[in-house]
Amino acid sequence: MPDYAPVDLTGTDLVEFELNGRTVKAPAGTMLVDACAANGVEVPIFCYEPRLGDPLGACRQCLVSVEGIPGLTTACSTPVAAEMMVDTVSEEVREAQDGILELLLENHPLDCPVCDKGGECPLQDRTFRFGPGESRMVEPKRHFPKPLKLSPQIALDRERCISCYRCVRFSQDVSEDGNLTMSERGGRSEITTFTGDSYNGRFTGNVIDLCPVGALTSIPYRFTSRPWDIQNTPSVCASCSVGCNTELTLREGEIKRVQGRDEPNWQVEEGWLCNVGRWGYGADQAPQRLRQPILRDGGETRECSLEEAVAAAGLVLAHEAHTTVLLGGDVTVEEAFIAKELAAGPLPDAQVGSAGVVGAALGPLRALPAAQLGDIDGADLVVVVGGDPANQHPVAELRLRKARRAGARIVLVGPRAQELESLGESIRTAPGNLAEGLTSAVAQIATVKRPLVVWDELDLDAEPDAAVVLATALGDNAAASQLELTSEVNGAGLRALGVAPHSRLVDQDLGGVLAVRANPGAGPGGDAWNRALDSGGPIVVIASHHSELTERATVVIPCSSHFEHEGVLVTAGQRAQRLRPGAAGPEQSAPGWEILIALSHRLGVALEYRSPRSAFAAATASAPALSGLDYDTLGDLGAEIATSPASDVNGAGAPRAHDGEGLPLVTGRSVFGGPEAHLSEGLVVTATGEEAVLHPAEAARLNVADANLITLNSPNGECTVRLRLDPGAPEGAVFAVRGVPGGTVESLLAPDRAPVNVTVNTA
Amino acid sequence: MSVQNTLKGFRVTFRHLLKRPETIGYPEKKTPVFPRFRGRHRLWSFDNGLEKCVGCSLCVAACPADCIRVVAEENTPDNRVSAGERYARIYEINMSRCIFCGYCEIACPFDAITLEHEYELSEYDRGALVYTKDMLLAEHPKKVPLREDGSAASG
Ligand code: SF4
Ligand code: FES
Repeated sequence: MPDYAPVDLTGTDLVEFELNGRTVKAPAGTMLVDACAANGVEVPIFCYEPRLGDPLGACRQCLVSVEGIPGLTTACSTPVAAEMMVDTVSEEVREAQDGILELLLENHPLDCPVCDKGGECPLQDRTFRFGPGESRMVEPKRHFPKPLKLSPQIALDRERCISCYRCVRFSQDVSEDGNLTMSERGGRSEITTFTGDSYNGRFTGNVIDLCPVGALTSIPYRFTSRPWDIQNTPSVCASCSVGCNTELTLREGEIKRVQGRDEPNWQVEEGWLCNVGRWGYGADQAPQRLRQPILRDGGETRECSLEEAVAAAGLVLAHEAHTTVLLGGDVTVEEAFIAKELAAGPLPDAQVGSAGVVGAALGPLRALPAAQLGDIDGADLVVVVGGDPANQHPVAELRLRKARRAGARIVLVGPRAQELESLGESIRTAPGNLAEGLTSAVAQIATVKRPLVVWDELDLDAEPDAAVVLATALGDNAAASQLELTSEVNGAGLRALGVAPHSRLVDQDLGGVLAVRANPGAGPGGDAWNRALDSGGPIVVIASHHSELTERATVVIPCSSHFEHEGVLVTAGQRAQRLRPGAAGPEQSAPGWEILIALSHRLGVALEYRSPRSAFAAATASAPALSGLDYDTLGDLGAEIATSPASDVNGAGAPRAHDGEGLPLVTGRSVFGGPEAHLSEGLVVTATGEEAVLHPAEAARLNVADANLITLNSPNGECTVRLRLDPGAPEGAVFAVRGVPGGTVESLLAPDRAPVNVTVNTA
Repeated sequence: MSVQNTLKGFRVTFRHLLKRPETIGYPEKKTPVFPRFRGRHRLWSFDNGLEKCVGCSLCVAACPADCIRVVAEENTPDNRVSAGERYARIYEINMSRCIFCGYCEIACPFDAITLEHEYELSEYDRGALVYTKDMLLAEHPKKVPLREDGSAASG
């Protein structure tokens, strides 16, 4: 957790003030605690948190004396002014700070040996550095039964709480769910939810990082390690394309915890994580994890060693007349690059494709200045076009909320009902009408100083005319910028490498198939893919988890998960960021790049990359968008890649036509119902499932009832899901949640995600 | 002169021939140790059977030889092992690494671990030198005689 806000001492608006007899500088208006910290003086704090908005002054730990202010004042809520005379070390101040610390510890149980926070606890640390060192309190401390389950993932120990209100402020002012509160008063104060039930939400885990004592701890991490048992590695979350910066905690060979970094990436996640990013690591230990290579020979299936599997993969692929390389949307730049090299050389007559959409008309939009997530809260108008940031790109939601709090106008235009609609003006468009729906937003873009458009790749791919409208509007305002929320985690990286989507390959003879983290049979057009795979040649799968594809593959080679290997992902805002291995992974698995290199040796044309670093160097040399980058320039926080030049816009005059009979289908995905959420032991209780949503009037017309199973039919396939009626849902469309493991909604879609209509019947 | 010196030397020899030997007939007889001698560790339980160790790993942090491994787990109502919220599911000491400094004993906030007097720890197999929690909890099989403060070793 960042204790103090970063302070820029190089700016021009600095004021001079006196700090403990020294004359120092800080920007006017900085809170005293931050100004002191920037000048090397630590003022102890508990409730102050630079990211929680306005200081509250709840704990009183930061008392300092400022000449002219009678008594002592809280440094966390006093802004610096010119010629202020501040004393943080006088006898009076020390006595006051000692007294507060003694009071805070009055009811604290000091059960540090059994507390998960022990060893990395701000209360412990500050009790060592400040405070009287002993207590005069002899009265019995308060006792509560403990721990309580604040949520399925959060344990609450009320005895340890020092009532700093950080968690409450997070819930009220950052995630704005408003559900956490302090009940009772004085010594009886305790944290609880307004509703009295579990504290569920998308971001609840952040209160664990925020809590300066051990009152809120993570249940999946509970008692697994102590701070001196572990090794922390900075990495990036690969559960969605936001690419939050994380810290992975290793103990006993396994990832035991993921948390926000101490030094957050202010351009990306600001230290916040969504619950899937925080607890999704459990999927690595799930029974579905591939731990042993598998060979299928005729009717026989057997486990084998990695070497044997790679040798077999080389054999079966080399004997094919031609081959197809299928990449998942989350392969790293290195994996994709090496796979491309394999296809260009050793693999017989190969073609490469990845998950994702073509986005023919998106070029001009992408060529406009790219914003970072961190730019959202500096904008005065944020237009969110399509998508559902709250569920598909969770941490982006926190940025949007922050922008709203800072006074930005938020306009949401799109075909989906979504939770963020209450943030501002919401224009719900019928499928095919997005361009029209943008009219008012476009008018506003022209009139404001710093407009920013957050757009969803899939929705604008379906309605290219809207993309053109947007690009034109943004192009007219020189200060405008755009932020693409890609559907694939490394979508921008794959594009930079020139890997085209694999949807174009589905009708062709695939020949031998090499699938790297790909599972097209479970994606859009799954039925068509399964037919193509059935009639194709042998399948070699490199994957970290079991799937339908590994069940039918000739050779299955287990690879590292994203917690276990090194590589680069290009996430939202075209930001290249480094994954670092936090753990080694199962014995019989290897990083994807290493397996691909080994395969090239087996195929007779050895690729000479000895590390992901050298593969990345070669990738940057071959891809103009990546040029100039290397592992050192990316460092811990990543860097933006070059924007791709605008390409020609073909067929962008109209929305893509819907295929099939019935109502148009609008789909959405939720990270909270994705594979990580369902595979991770800690998350599965809160994982969301597949469902279809209809407006009640529409349901009455179609003669289907709430909570019943319904069958949806499109030209691409059929699916059976449970129906929910929601008066908030738009009429004239069917909404369905896709992307749930084992679900079938994706099979309704065309391989290239061409819009479809579906017929609705009771199952 | 030389004869005299030789006799002087013999006198010392003969005087010691009549004394009781300083050596101890180890291994038939055990060397007594001081009460504060630091030998093999012991983990302690309360009289009601609950372990004193709560798996806090402070001994691990204190150990300069890095020879302790603790993997903790939560006590449940059906499986209550220690008196605290947490207990050590795995508690191992690698005796081939231990330097018997006693820091673990000092670090332990619950007096759960002490260094006792036993010093006969050799094994034929290195693996056997990794002591498990059950071994450490059990009463020591070999009793070591204590040496009175100030008494002679052969006491
Ligand atoms: S918002 Fe996306 S990148 Fe960030 S933690 Fe959640 S899943 Fe991971
Ligand atoms: S940190 Fe200033 S009052 Fe809590």
